[in-house]
Amino acid sequence: MNMRYILSLMLHLPPSLRDRRRYLRFEVFCEREIDKRELLKEIWNSLYALYGDVGGSESKVWLIEYHKSEDTNCGVGILRCAHDKVDEVRASLACIHSVNDAQVGIRVIKISGTIKGATRLRR
Amino acid sequence: MLNYFDLNVHAYPETDASVEELLSVAKRYGYTGIAITNHDEVVQEQKESNAVFYGVEIKANSVSDLKRKIKLHGGKVSLLTVHGGNDKINRAAVENPRVDILAHPCGERGEGGLNHVLVRYAAENGVAIDFNMNSIIHSRRGERARTLGKMREILKLVRKYNAPMILTSQAHFIYDLRAPREMIALAALFGMSKEEATSALCDIPRGVLDKRWKKERDVEIL
Repeated sequence: MNMRYILSLMLHLPPSLRDRRRYLRFEVFCEREIDKRELLKEIWNSLYALYGDVGGSESKVWLIEYHKSEDTNCGVGILRCAHDKVDEVRASLACIHSVNDAQVGIRVIKISGTIKGATRLRR
Repeated sequence: MLNYFDLNVHAYPETDASVEELLSVAKRYGYTGIAITNHDEVVQEQKESNAVFYGVEIKANSVSDLKRKIKLHGGKVSLLTVHGGNDKINRAAVENPRVDILAHPCGERGEGGLNHVLVRYAAENGVAIDFNMNSIIHSRRGERARTLGKMREILKLVRKYNAPMILTSQAHFIYDLRAPREMIALAALFGMSKEEATSALCDIPRGVLDKRWKKERDVEIL
């Protein structure tokens, strides 16, 4: 066995041990354009305010992607979370009312088990 | 396809949001209809649409004031809502069969509440108990914990006496509206099941608009 193969085994968890995840595609309806960083900070604030440190760590939230959509004042993004915490994350997203004093309303459009699935639009 | 309704939305002239804007956002979120319930006044310029219902939310300082205002608006609007929170106002509202909805009975900051007697009156008179998501969205920490606790108490009583309950956003801006699925997730925070929350957004609001409970109980609507 070569060194590279052994290294690759060490770096990646075997599939059976990997976390099961869900990818939420969401839409941010906002007053003015907001920054990805500001948004992620607000998502964490809201999640920790609602579920505390323990609950927040269980949901394993991470912002994969966020960009401005073609519509003037909306943004779309993809958020990763644990597969059994979708409703909790959804509630904490719904609790976000402003990002840096700009009013926002977030809704989840699609939930998928893969990033590819979350990116693909409904036909 | 379910028909979702949001029966507590505030529009221009009370707030900056126009009825058209609110309706377009609500439609985008998947609502079938919204009800405009401004405090103490009915919107004058009414747009002809079967998706918008015009009601009023009565804000009263005292019980006699409430009775006077109910008399004033009763029978003229499609939806008669009472701004709850104060214990005396809550009681007067659920005792009055002309009232359709008691909005946020636990107050906007979790200060008021309902007891078993009042919820039973509400069930008898067909007054829908409103669970207001705006107070969960806009408050944090102690205030939100108190509101959620109150809602949990009321939910227990509502289940026991089978009173009608609805979920509303009490939106003052277009950004305050939340999609139905988000509302259901928020309702889960105080222990409401998915089925209950769905019917509190679909069937029960429809029934309130059709005055289903009033007809069942032969309540006289003047």
